[in-house]
Amino acid sequence: MSAAHAAEAEPYQPVFVGKTLDRLNEIIARYPAKQGALLPALWLVQEARGWISDDAMAEVATVLDTTAAHVKGVVTFYTMYHQHPVGKNFVQVCTTSCCNICGAEDVVKALLEETGAKELGATSPDGKWTVIEVECLGACGFPTPILVNDDFIENVTPEKVPELVRKYR
Amino acid sequence: MGYPQKPHPKETVVLSEYFGDPEARTFKGWVKRGGYEALKKALAMDPNAVTEEVKNSGLRGRGGAGFPTGLKWTFMPKEKKGPHYLCVNADESEPGTFKDREIMRWTPHALLEGTAIAAHAIRAEVAYIYIRGEFTEPWTVMTQALAEANAAKVFGNITIYLHRGAGAYICGEETALMNSIEGKRGNPRIKPPFPAVAGVFGKPTTINNVETLAAVPHIIKRGSAWYKGLCLSSPKSTGTKLFSVCGHIQKPGNVEVTMGFPLKDVIYEMCGGMRPGRTLKACIPGGSSVPILTKEETEKCLLDYEGVAEAGSLLGSGGVIVFDDSADMVYQIMRLARFYAHESCAQCTQCREGTAWTTKIMERILAGKGQMKDLDLLLDLSENMTGKTICVLSDSCATPVISGIRKFRSEFEDYITGKKRPVMVA
Amino acid sequence: MADLVNLTIDDVAVSVPKGTLVIEAAKQAGVLVPHYCYHPGLPVAGVCRMCLVEVEKAPKLQIACATQVTEGMVVRTRSGQAKSGRTGVLELLLINHPLDCPICDQAGECELQDFTFQEGRPSTRYSPTYPKRFNPVEDFGPDVLYVPNRCILCTRCVRFMEDVAKEPVLNVSERGDRAFVGIHPDAQLDHPWSGNVVDLCPVGSLLSKDFLHKARAWELDKTASVCTGCSQGCNVTLDLRDDTVVRIRPRANLDVNQYFICDHGRGHYRWMNRGDRVEAPLVRDGADLRAVDWDEALDRVRTLLKGAGGSAVALVSPKTSTEGLYFARKALARFNWSGAFQVVMGEEAPLAGVPNLALRAERAPNGKGAELLGYTRDYAAALKAAEKAAVVLVIDDPEAQIKTSGQVIYLGTAAPASLNAAIVLPMALMVEEDGTYVNRDGRVQRYFQGRGTPAMARPAWWVLGQLADVAPDSASAAFDVMAADVEAFRGMSYATLGLAGQRTGAGAGVPA
Repeated sequence: MSAAHAAEAEPYQPVFVGKTLDRLNEIIARYPAKQGALLPALWLVQEARGWISDDAMAEVATVLDTTAAHVKGVVTFYTMYHQHPVGKNFVQVCTTSCCNICGAEDVVKALLEETGAKELGATSPDGKWTVIEVECLGACGFPTPILVNDDFIENVTPEKVPELVRKYR
Repeated sequence: MGYPQKPHPKETVVLSEYFGDPEARTFKGWVKRGGYEALKKALAMDPNAVTEEVKNSGLRGRGGAGFPTGLKWTFMPKEKKGPHYLCVNADESEPGTFKDREIMRWTPHALLEGTAIAAHAIRAEVAYIYIRGEFTEPWTVMTQALAEANAAKVFGNITIYLHRGAGAYICGEETALMNSIEGKRGNPRIKPPFPAVAGVFGKPTTINNVETLAAVPHIIKRGSAWYKGLCLSSPKSTGTKLFSVCGHIQKPGNVEVTMGFPLKDVIYEMCGGMRPGRTLKACIPGGSSVPILTKEETEKCLLDYEGVAEAGSLLGSGGVIVFDDSADMVYQIMRLARFYAHESCAQCTQCREGTAWTTKIMERILAGKGQMKDLDLLLDLSENMTGKTICVLSDSCATPVISGIRKFRSEFEDYITGKKRPVMVA
Repeated sequence: MADLVNLTIDDVAVSVPKGTLVIEAAKQAGVLVPHYCYHPGLPVAGVCRMCLVEVEKAPKLQIACATQVTEGMVVRTRSGQAKSGRTGVLELLLINHPLDCPICDQAGECELQDFTFQEGRPSTRYSPTYPKRFNPVEDFGPDVLYVPNRCILCTRCVRFMEDVAKEPVLNVSERGDRAFVGIHPDAQLDHPWSGNVVDLCPVGSLLSKDFLHKARAWELDKTASVCTGCSQGCNVTLDLRDDTVVRIRPRANLDVNQYFICDHGRGHYRWMNRGDRVEAPLVRDGADLRAVDWDEALDRVRTLLKGAGGSAVALVSPKTSTEGLYFARKALARFNWSGAFQVVMGEEAPLAGVPNLALRAERAPNGKGAELLGYTRDYAAALKAAEKAAVVLVIDDPEAQIKTSGQVIYLGTAAPASLNAAIVLPMALMVEEDGTYVNRDGRVQRYFQGRGTPAMARPAWWVLGQLADVAPDSASAAFDVMAADVEAFRGMSYATLGLAGQRTGAGAGVPA
């Protein structure tokens, strides 16, 4: 059962109203077909809600004249869209080869420990941290790069982790 | 030398001249540095003349395939029957490559200017710059730069939009990128039709890499003869190229050199060489999808399309991954296989199943449970994954496996015979 | 005539129209290139990579489903290289496919089984210690189950819903080897044509709940037939297990239904298995109906008809064969004749991606045939006429409510509910006889006998043909008599109709 259904006591509030709808309409105008605005629309949903629920997918489908099934196929294709709620700070650590040989896996370990998330993909008990390994972040010359939400941080080492975590806590 | 390092005297600094210079990011700062003069010149030229100039320069696609840029532009329909599109591939995701990121971070206007010139040449009214979702900083910089350039109305009747990806390596494949812009899964398309016939939104489309387009204003401004003259070895490879150097290296970063420059000089001189007490073991010269070179091959390799091919690999995207003698090649090849298995779009059988299977076999070897026949199986499986699918992601997974086993077989055998202790749990 | 392109496939020379795909050209050379994602009724996807073939001068293997023929092309489907490419695909398809054929509905008609048998490896190299991909069975809709473990991601179902049904409720979800066919939690696979995904699925991943565990494929006897669900006349195959119809599947006919049938038609077979059949001719003696043999029954009919005068009315089911309707009319020819049929109406449900294909509102497979033979749709008028008619012939309408001062002859599959018939004659069901229907576009199409008749029941053409001067001795002969007599069928015969049928008037020189 989806989280959306579990919380059915609260009716779904649409994302695309007021200013967000205006922003979407401005984006739709950039493409000759409405569906072109799908990826940007999903970004707007994630910006507003932190994740993309099944109900939100259905709303996006309606707004862009496509189907919920299509939207879901797209959401599950792109790894940056969250299909479940995540911690307030979503941390993505690059562990592909170039960073790997420079110690990325130690950075992951330090982050899991320091944030209390303990396991990859799990959210820390205080709800503040989710840490995942990702494939190449495209900053191989700055090992190890990590993304904390939209902040791109280069040259992270296990030693720098405690300070970094303090900053976001 | 690209940010964060200081330029090295042996570099030929064209694209990276203003890396690390915050003022160059602004419209005013860019104009002050001679920016947008090339665009003004190009917009006054016949589109075909612009294409001809780029064709004469010998510029080849910097995204990996190395296809002649000007020639690609000529594939667009001669008679314009509807909209034409330009797609800019800023989905830089090839492990080991981080040059487009620096171009966008430091010289966003170079990309915008090149984009507008290319759009003019192919007679496109709209250009989409597809920036990978993880590139948050380049996204912010590009957004700001585009707003400033739009305010200054420099693009004539060409409109440029930014489109943000959302985490999918495969969207760097040109037709996958087009599907992604159309709001679809990033599945590569079967060809034909080719993009110049039916690309994004089914219309004639040209797609170019960031570095390719960033070079275009220089060609227009300084002429194709100048660009063509930038050549140290093969006349088929001209201009300068950014090489992203990373891995076991003292000073990682981007190096800009003239085509044909020796790889060993890049590694040992410009990037500071190996860490103390370490020696070079291997190098992947063109991003993770190309064959691994041994130390000997690396030291003989000249950095241009032909030179790297002669050394036994491919120039690819110019992502130079350096491994010293501490590197566990088996583990690193497993990481690459896992990367491709994670990124496979799931369309073609060989790729969807083969990348995952390859990863499992590699993991088993690393867990000390491999058998000698697994190496033959890996080679056979890799052969089966090569040249049989819609795009080359499957081939890219097979390539490091094949070259890895051929060149570093003893490291695999050490795990299998128990000479080396397992590093993974099966 | 389209431009022809000459090529050779496995050393067989063929000429095919320009633009033909190699996989289709190969069929002309008698070669079936193994494939999964390709289906002639769907847009080309080129994703399973199974149909790899060697094309001379091409640097690598090509997929036959997305490669167009060129002049002088030399294709080798059985070369070592081509075969090893396909064997490789099969091995990869099987690494995550459960070997649960003994409990899989598709076994026996599974393309993965067939091609693995044909050119797969004798055993896998996939370690038995690796877990196979697992996802629970999903309930997709009213009649469709999805077993993701068996799925080979060919995407035929997704493309059917998207490009043919134009109701894209299915998707490919996730990526890499985690991918599966998905559906939004709020969506249902309940489009009126959605059952086709079960036929399209080359493996046992999409299953019909209706057919679930009913029969093994090799237990089925297949009969070419025509759907009785509406007036579209979709070509179908009836699958019978021990004389019971257990499944209806589409039979390709590019002019009528391409490769598809609707769910209404797919489920419209239970009436063929009804148990309350009339099994012997019955004649009325006073208040009772008495079973008699055919000779006596037919004598009674002849006597009745001879003794009557004035008007006669035929009230017929539009599921009756054209041949039966013809001889019914002929039997009543010397009367002031009128005939009508009643059409049950339902909702029209088009298949958006195929022109002129819909579940038609008229749920009558042979209304057009009846009309060509002079029957009308004005059932009410016929009922009125029946009141004063001397003879009323009712064909296979057990629910008919008729008031008449004349005599009622009833010919049908099930006993009439409330008719005070003088004679009741047992009739074969369409699956028990050879016959023809005429679809709404005037296409005359044959259906074939799939099982024997129960007890003494006989086809309508046989029963009513016995009343003619020269009784036909086969359905084919019955048709010939009609074709010689009725303009619309002129020039046609069972031989010319074949399996695909012909438009009325075709024999008379009007192009089909």
